[in-house]
Amino acid sequence: MSAPLSAEQMAGASPTAMPADIEKAARRVERRQAFSAALLVLPLIVLIAFAFLIPVGLLLFKSIDNPVVAEGLPETLTALQSWSPADGLPSDAAYTGLKRDIEKAKAEGTLGVIGARLNQDTPGARSLLQATGRRLDATTDADPHQAFIAIDKRWGEPEIFGAIRNAGDRYTLNYYLNALDLTRNTAGDIIAKPEGQRLHINLFIRTVWVSALTAFVCFLLAYPIAYLLAHLPARRANLLMIVVLLPFWTSILVRITSWIALLQKQGVVNDALASLGVIGEAGRLALIYNMTGTIIVGTHILLPFFVLPLYSVMKTVNPNLVRAATSLGASPFTAFRRVYFPLTVPGIFAGSSLVFILCTGYFITPALVGGQNGQLISNIIAYHMQQSLNWGLAAALSTLLLVMIGIVYFLYTRLVRDQR
Amino acid sequence: MFLPMSPTAGPLERLWHVVFSGLCLAIFAFLILPLVIVVPLSFNAEAYFTFTREMLSLSPEAFSLRWYRELFTNPQWAAAFRNSLFVAVGATLIATTLGTVAALGLAKLKPALRASVMILLLSPMIIPIVIVAAALYFFFTAIGLAQTLTGLILAHAMLGAPFVVTTVLATLSGFDWNLVRAAASLGAGPVHTFRKVTLPAIAPGVISGGLFAFITSLDEVVVVMFLASVDQRTVPRQMWSGIREQLSPTILAAATLLIVASFLLLLFAEMIRRRNEAARASTHED
Amino acid sequence: MTSLVSLRGIQKTYDGKQLVVKNLDLEVSEGEFLTLLGPSGSGKTTVLMMLAGFETPTTGEIVIAGQHMTRLPPQKRGIGMVFQNYALFPNMSVAENLAFPLEVRKLPTVELRDRVEKSLAMVRLTPFADRRPSQLSGGQQQRVALARALIFEPRLVLMDEPLGALDKNLREQMQYEIKQIHARLGVTVVYVTHDQSEALTMSDRVAVFNDGIIQQICPPKELYERPGNSFVAGFIGENNRLSGVVRKIIDDECLVEIAPGVTVKARKVGVHATAEPTTLSIRPERVKISPQAGEVDTVIAGEVESVLYHGDHIRAHLRGLGPAPFVVKLPNTNGAAATLVAGASVSIGWASRDCLALDLMEA
Ligand SMILES: Nc1ncnc2c1ncn2[C@@H]1O[C@H](COP(=O)(O)OP(=O)(O)O)[C@@H](O)[C@H]1O
Ligand SMILES: [Mg+2]
Repeated sequence: MSAPLSAEQMAGASPTAMPADIEKAARRVERRQAFSAALLVLPLIVLIAFAFLIPVGLLLFKSIDNPVVAEGLPETLTALQSWSPADGLPSDAAYTGLKRDIEKAKAEGTLGVIGARLNQDTPGARSLLQATGRRLDATTDADPHQAFIAIDKRWGEPEIFGAIRNAGDRYTLNYYLNALDLTRNTAGDIIAKPEGQRLHINLFIRTVWVSALTAFVCFLLAYPIAYLLAHLPARRANLLMIVVLLPFWTSILVRITSWIALLQKQGVVNDALASLGVIGEAGRLALIYNMTGTIIVGTHILLPFFVLPLYSVMKTVNPNLVRAATSLGASPFTAFRRVYFPLTVPGIFAGSSLVFILCTGYFITPALVGGQNGQLISNIIAYHMQQSLNWGLAAALSTLLLVMIGIVYFLYTRLVRDQR
Repeated sequence: MFLPMSPTAGPLERLWHVVFSGLCLAIFAFLILPLVIVVPLSFNAEAYFTFTREMLSLSPEAFSLRWYRELFTNPQWAAAFRNSLFVAVGATLIATTLGTVAALGLAKLKPALRASVMILLLSPMIIPIVIVAAALYFFFTAIGLAQTLTGLILAHAMLGAPFVVTTVLATLSGFDWNLVRAAASLGAGPVHTFRKVTLPAIAPGVISGGLFAFITSLDEVVVVMFLASVDQRTVPRQMWSGIREQLSPTILAAATLLIVASFLLLLFAEMIRRRNEAARASTHED
Repeated sequence: MTSLVSLRGIQKTYDGKQLVVKNLDLEVSEGEFLTLLGPSGSGKTTVLMMLAGFETPTTGEIVIAGQHMTRLPPQKRGIGMVFQNYALFPNMSVAENLAFPLEVRKLPTVELRDRVEKSLAMVRLTPFADRRPSQLSGGQQQRVALARALIFEPRLVLMDEPLGALDKNLREQMQYEIKQIHARLGVTVVYVTHDQSEALTMSDRVAVFNDGIIQQICPPKELYERPGNSFVAGFIGENNRLSGVVRKIIDDECLVEIAPGVTVKARKVGVHATAEPTTLSIRPERVKISPQAGEVDTVIAGEVESVLYHGDHIRAHLRGLGPAPFVVKLPNTNGAAATLVAGASVSIGWASRDCLALDLMEA
């Protein structure tokens, strides 16, 4: 009996022996198809680029972009090039340069902007610059050094020149230092900020902590109901699914409003507890406008984001696996622990990283119900954007937040890959 | 809503079954109660955010339409509703069109390329909204789109489009491309084929993606806060000020209206999804 | 042989409306290989699920080795089960899958390892001990499932279409292996399949299921030779059906009129009285072409409609006997097909013991 011919033998030539022109033609056809497909995607890419990528890129660029002082006080900076605060006061050239820079800025109306920029590092610098600008006149030409000190004695100390020089780089990492609670001393060395001023690191830690806690609470609440939904007959599961989806579809502000009505001092929950006598009038619970409020409302808002991926993973678990485990002698609890639960772990990973990532970027909830100690990193970013107008710092904080999210996402993909 | 229990279950299992059912009930209550509670509160005759004694005793004087009247007669709220609707409709139209077309293209791209383009297209969904809003503020100010409804519409379209892309792609994954070939072999041109063959098949995905985009825009407040002028305030922006500044039951009335609206939209979306599933099941039967 | 499993008066409904299993009585002997054979949806899996304890009978009782099962949860029944599509734990290696039933029984580690090794050797998977199920071929997965169901030495093993996902060659090889293991271990097997040839080759007895009822239960040979009703005759093997009316009954034979004036002799199986309508069943391979005188009991004329060449045999479709084509199957020996050309008139015949008068087949 002879072996039948294999398909390859019958095909004769191997695929690599394909004539070159056919190969080229095939690739051309392929390219044309890919091109027409790409053409369809293009309009959306343009929109996303225009309303997302470019703006976000420009914003993040602000975290290193530092034109104000570099362009505003060029002569001063040139004179300060080889100077260091350890040398004592700078040369007269620096004062002369400063005088000319200030006069030019005054003429162009940019003195306020330069002052504001210096003020970010050195409180009081703005008014110093303004006052100096007002009082400079032709008489100071003779001895700018003494004239400056006469206007304000801070001009007789090296610190202010150190600050100017530190702020004078065209591109700077100072915003990142600030965002990480670091600063430069007048000698230009990087040092930690004094204990009381380390807000950002604490805020990052708080954001991570709140996000992790919210993800964990969501896990505790999502697992039972996802299990229920995945194991009920389809009709009833669909009905209950609406209960999960309705909050998902309802405006976040509506949900926050409801929670305020429920949780505030004079709210429904406290009223109910007080009238039941569980708490006294004086002992009304502070359930909102603090970290508790942020976590309760955050859990409510993010819970569907945990339930849905978990539910879809649970739906794919073959019910015969648990049956097999029991038929092999495992009790229902053992079957759950050894077989069912491990198979739903990918859903738990998906749900918790989704909730964690969304929570780290949370802004609305902490802003409205977080009170003082429930504010997260997004809120401080908004504060620097809208109120302190320290855009460079806001941009640096944004970049760090994005890096953090990227790391979590990366860890998640690694976890998922290791699961396989 | 309870799982059936096996008649062979032991006492421990029975106990757990009861505990588990109670737990689920409590979690569902946690999900739905906050939405339900605002509805009666919005009919409060008093300016309180909680149930008055009279309301609990169900006396008719305790309830009124006062806050709804306030909502409808206040020109600020009227403008907010108008702006919300205008922006949401505009953003939905753009997001749905661009998203659907992009999904059709993505479905034909090579998987590796598609994955990287998808990351690009979906990134607006996970980047913190404050960063997006601040970035848009600077960029749109520079090019003169800040404080315009056009700017808002474009921003909301960008936020909504990823939902359309994902839902349409999901419907396309079950789409038999041979149908398009068949239509072409029967002599239909590409536009005709799209209208008569492809579009009907992906319509459920397009519609539910569009609903998502609509809801996204209707719900969005942070971008509005950074981009909109006072005249361009939307309903959520108005509620934001309400919560921040003067906590009046008017926002409960607005919340109730929004809950009813989202419930109707959700029912609509579910209906579409089920019809789609049923249609799919019937084509797979034979 | 003593009875190990008794199913008495079992009925089952899932929705309270439709009975999926109707009044099932079944005894399975110790060491027997019993197959439940039936079309998809006939309730076979449901019967296994009730035996294993995953479903509860709506009425009736199940007794295994003298013990009532009604209140006994599945994990205490000690029944091995091979599931449709195997249900191997994807998060455990092959060895861990096999160790699972021993672990929950708290076997000492040394004995556990020993048993797992022996079991791996039995199904020739020793080199694959550390692989995940997803890294095995279908046949290998099937052997793991088999080993796992047997490793804790159950007296009863249930198998639900265990070979359904395998291709034909592998299926035949696995049928042989399962039979070998059954013979060696002497366990009792209740086996479910919808593949009739599998049922016929493997079983001691076959129970043919349809519509929640056992149509016939007997050894394979009898099932083919003496189908009890027209469903079984149609489900097992091929057959030609002719409808007619019983004219006369003589002992265990009867005369059936299949066309005005044409009467044939048949074995009486599902008919009880004269004037009763009946279906005659004749296997295609029992029909003779141009029979010699005395070789057959019945001779009828027909016209060849088409001839199909199958290599080892030849099939011919004949016209003129009933509404459907009458199929004849001939071994491809020299000259067998000489008279068979389309359009030719031929005479065909069969022995009356090969022609069964069955109940009327519902249309
Ligand atoms: N869990 C269940 N719930 C409701 N109906 C079921 C369930 N399992 C099976 N059925 C129904 O019972 C009938 C018999 O199914 P089954 O026992 O699986 O048949 P088989 O295994 O012979 O194919 C089918 O009509 C099927 O739809
Ligand atoms: Mg079955």
